[in-house]
This record gives sequence, structure tokens and C-alpha cells, in this order.
Amino acid sequence: MKKAWIAALTALVAPPRTRTAGRVLAMGALLLGASLPCGAAAAQDADMTFDDESSEGGADMTFEEGGESSGGGGDVISSLATEGDASGAAARAADSGDRDAPEREAEATEEIYAVQQIYALRINRVELMPSIAQSMNDPFVSHTGVSLGLNYWFTNVLAVGLNFIWYEGLESESDLNFFVRRSTRLAVPVNGYQFLANLNFTYVPIYGKFAMFNEFIFQYDAYIVGGIGLMRTRPIPVVDPVVREFDFGERISFNVGIGLRVFVTRWLAVFAELRDYMYLETLENLNVGFGADRNNPETWVQSSPAFVNNVTAQIGLAIFVPFDFSYNQPR
Amino acid sequence: MTPLTSHGTRTMAATKSTLLALALLAIATVSGLGVTRASAQDVLISGPLAGAPAVRNMRVYREGRVNLIPGVGYTLQDEYARSLFLTVEANYHFLDWIGVGLWGGFNMARIDTDLTTQIAAVGQTTDRNRLSLPDRAAFSDQVGRMVWAASLHLMFVPLRGKLSLFQAVFIDTDLYVFGGVGLFGLQERAATDVVASGCDTMIGGGSTASCIDSARARADRVAVTPMFGLGMSFYANSWFGVMIEWRAFPFSWNPSGTDESGEGRDRMPGGGFPDGVINGDDSRTTFNQMINIGLVFNLPPDQAITD
Repeated sequence: MKKAWIAALTALVAPPRTRTAGRVLAMGALLLGASLPCGAAAAQDADMTFDDESSEGGADMTFEEGGESSGGGGDVISSLATEGDASGAAARAADSGDRDAPEREAEATEEIYAVQQIYALRINRVELMPSIAQSMNDPFVSHTGVSLGLNYWFTNVLAVGLNFIWYEGLESESDLNFFVRRSTRLAVPVNGYQFLANLNFTYVPIYGKFAMFNEFIFQYDAYIVGGIGLMRTRPIPVVDPVVREFDFGERISFNVGIGLRVFVTRWLAVFAELRDYMYLETLENLNVGFGADRNNPETWVQSSPAFVNNVTAQIGLAIFVPFDFSYNQPR
Repeated sequence: MTPLTSHGTRTMAATKSTLLALALLAIATVSGLGVTRASAQDVLISGPLAGAPAVRNMRVYREGRVNLIPGVGYTLQDEYARSLFLTVEANYHFLDWIGVGLWGGFNMARIDTDLTTQIAAVGQTTDRNRLSLPDRAAFSDQVGRMVWAASLHLMFVPLRGKLSLFQAVFIDTDLYVFGGVGLFGLQERAATDVVASGCDTMIGGGSTASCIDSARARADRVAVTPMFGLGMSFYANSWFGVMIEWRAFPFSWNPSGTDESGEGRDRMPGGGFPDGVINGDDSRTTFNQMINIGLVFNLPPDQAITD
């Protein structure tokens, strides 16, 4: 695709006599080349735009003495290629009339800055986080859910937000409880979830970047999250399912977790998160009353609640709005 | 009116430019078809970064080196028994992004899950399940346990980078995936049947001694399993680091030591269940997982640095 650009640029800066027809065809070449699929375009090429905004944050390379300088890669250099220097260089070549000069595919002049800019600023942006959730520590019931998170970043490392997971209709009871009941006559009380909703605070203590095959750069950060919220759960009747029925009830939950966010563009990231939602659960009573007591709902649940850890893994997308941002400080 | 010669010159020029553009179109098409990925490095950079590679002065932690990783592994989502492995791993990398390795470990702790504890406390033995649970107090002895493990794997390191902790500490890191073949030494309840074990009779309302002994009888077996996972390494210096990885190794076994086969079509008691035999038919596949944490020692200690 890059060579299509070169063809276009060459034609566009050709002497006036040859420009008209050449330009038309070159534009055709440009469009054709641009429309051809590129199997594995660099992840951060995906947000390559030709405005000043996108080129600002790309130069996050560092060149410390004696250290590793794993910056830039496809991101920086491709950003450089879009900064207008390419066409400028080609124009200069045309103006000089140096038609025999070695082919120069594109040219960019890069500067080195003492302080590099953060690839994707978060401050004053809203983060939408659709995801799927899966419980990790309940072998009896697979708590699968769909989730939506919303964060507002009031600094680059601190956010306040909400998250919501819907479970009802997506959960499934594993065979384990059946096997246990059949072989040991032990009924393990299990519970189903309807949803949870939480108010969270997020802090980003760790950020970094990965080079893939020494070529493509991915920015990432690791965060810790915690908060308080509400869960609606109910026991699944396993001891006396003929008689007992349970409605969903609200439980206060606390949560703490860690996550990893990998930026694909400046507004889109993939995230994975592991969070423990802790709450006091109402469990089904393992004893069945006699006579009228059997039908008394007050005898259906255990007298004291149980402390439950609902460890949930989530994976999804993080979409930052607005998509564009500007840096306050010149670099 | 344009002179003929001039018109002819202009026509020729237009023809040449058309040919040139067509040639460029063809080149663009061919090159576009041939391009499989964006190649930003082909852009000619002038200025201080002229000629600089994507990553410069990169410390090479893996290529041509052996890393030895003593560590501990803890199994996850176990139904009846958890395992705490003392592990050791050795990898050799032909390139910085690919290598082969060996991993192995011994289970050094016998840890029951809460479910096992509950069964041991309140499980009930009846004539119907006497072979499955001869004595609830002996249930902990009849559950299947992992004893040792070994694997041969291919390691792939697609991501290499660094991280900043509180903008104060900077650590080199990489992310890797691996896959291979694993062997697991298992200890399960020994094969028996309801008659041979004496579980078809009662004594004093309880199970016979031979029936209870059948719960404690053990049989060793080696399970062959695929093993795969991913992990991250964090390097403190050229020869030392830490790693954390997740491993998965699904295999079929009888983790509860109970009689599970012979079920009816509706899987409810009745029909063919129970078949009164403890054997391989009672096995089922479980998706076993482990978190492994280790210390990374790279040998030789000195490392290469790229240009």
C-alpha cells in the first residue's frame, strides 16, 4: 500500500506537462492500492490519520544511553510518515529537478524530545467497557454474564466509574453438584445471580509498552480497581426443589481487582480483568422441616449468611470518548 | 491553433505520462497484492533517527541462553483436592522469540477443598452409594491426587516490552505462550467392585472393614495430556527475573474416587446406575489449571544488546 502512496506522490509532483493524466491515474493507483488488503497491518497503524492530532503522541521513543529504547516502531515511524514531510520531501526532489536521484520512498524528519508524550491520554475522557464475564471459583454454577462499564478519568491515572453485569439467563449449573449428590448424598447449596452493579475507583500504577516481533508497538497499562455495589442473587433449590422457590434479593458487595488494558488505537483498547466481588450470601437450608414447617419459607434458608467470594474474569473492549484529544503542553 | 509539432510533442508527452501512470498503477497493484503487512520501517527518516531500527539497544534476554526457573505452582478450580507443586523449568531459546523447554514438578502438599471437608463431615452412606462412599471419614483418602508432572513444550515470545511502576521503577518484561505435551503422575482410588470390596454387605449398620479399605487403596497411573498456557517474565537485571504463568492441562480421571458410570439415559439413579464397579469408566475429563510463579535465572549471565 505504501508503494501506491509513492506512485501517487510521484505523479502528483511530476512536471506540469505530464501532470493531468498522470494525476488521474495516480489517484486511481492510490485508491486501488489503499483498498487492497494488508494482512497484518500494525495495530497502531489502524488509527493513522493525516491530521496534526494523531501525530502528536506517537513519538514516545526513548533513547537512553546504554539502555533499551524500545519505542516507536511501526507507530512512531508511521506517524512520522504522515506528518507531511513525505510530500514535502518529494516536492523538494521535484523542485530540484533531480530526476536521477535514488528512489526515496518517503521521508520524515524526526526530533528527539526530552519528555515524551503519553500515547493515549485518559484525562477528561469517558471510557466505555463492554465485556463478557465469567466466574472463576464456583465449580457448581458457571456464572456467565455480559457487562458494561463506564469510567470517567479525572486524571490520567484515576477514574471513577460504574460497572454492571447481567447474569440471569446466562448461567448454567455444572454436573458436579449432581455427581456429588448422587455419590455422597451431600447437597451443596448453590446460588444464582441476576445482576450486580458497582461504583468503582480505578488507579493505574503500571504502564508500559510491548514490541511485537521487534516491529509493532502496543501500549498497555495495568490497573487496580475497587468499589462497592449491589448484587441480586437467590438460592437455587437443590435440597427440596419440589417445595422451595426463592426470589432474588439484594446483597451489598465489595470488590477489588486488577486488570490489564492494551491499546489498539488511541481510543480503543482490549482489557482483561480479574475481580473479587465479596458479599454475604443467603444459602438454602440443608434441613427440611416436617409438616407445616416444610412449606414455611422462613425455614428454607440458613439462619446465618455465608461470606462468598465471587471471583470474576472479564474480557472486553475499552472505548474512549471523545476519540480525539489534544495535549496541553507542547512537546 | 496549436502548431503540429507542439501538438505532437504534447501528445507524445501525454502518452508517456499515461504509460508512466499505468506503469505506476501496475506497480502499485502488484506491490499492493504482495504486501502482507504495513512496513513503516521502509520510510526514510532523516534527522537524529535516520537509520534507526524500530527498537534500538534492546537487551536480549532469551536468544542463545538457557533460563532456569525454580518455582511453585498452585492448581485452580479443583473440585476435591488442590495441589501445591514445587516446580523447575529449563528453556533454551534459539531466537529471542522462540525456544523449547522442559517443565516438571512434584506435589508437595495434600490440600483438601471445602467440598471434600464437607463430605467428610456430613456425607451419608447408604446401601445405594456404599461403594462410592464406604466411609465419609475416609473420603479424603479416596479422592484422586496429582503426584508429579512433567512437560516438553515449545515456547513462543511474541511480545517484548517494558513497564513503569509508579513512574519510578522501570522493568523489562515479555509475554509468552507455550504448548506441548505433559505427563501427570496420578494417584487414584484402586479399581474394585462392590462384591470384591465387600461393599455389598453391612456390619453393625456400617460398611465392612474391607469396604472401607477399598476406599483407601490407591493405584498409580500416568496421564498424557496437552499442556498449554501463557506467562509474563519481569527482568531485574541481565541474569535474574521473576515470572508468573498460567498452565492448563485437561485430562480424564476419577477425582472423587466414586462410582459414576452405568447411568441411565436421564442420568438419574436407576437404569444402569450404579454399575457397582470402580474403574476407568468412572473417569471424566476435567480442565485442570495451575498458576506457576518462579524465579528466572538466565545463563550465561551476560546478555547481548542489539544495535
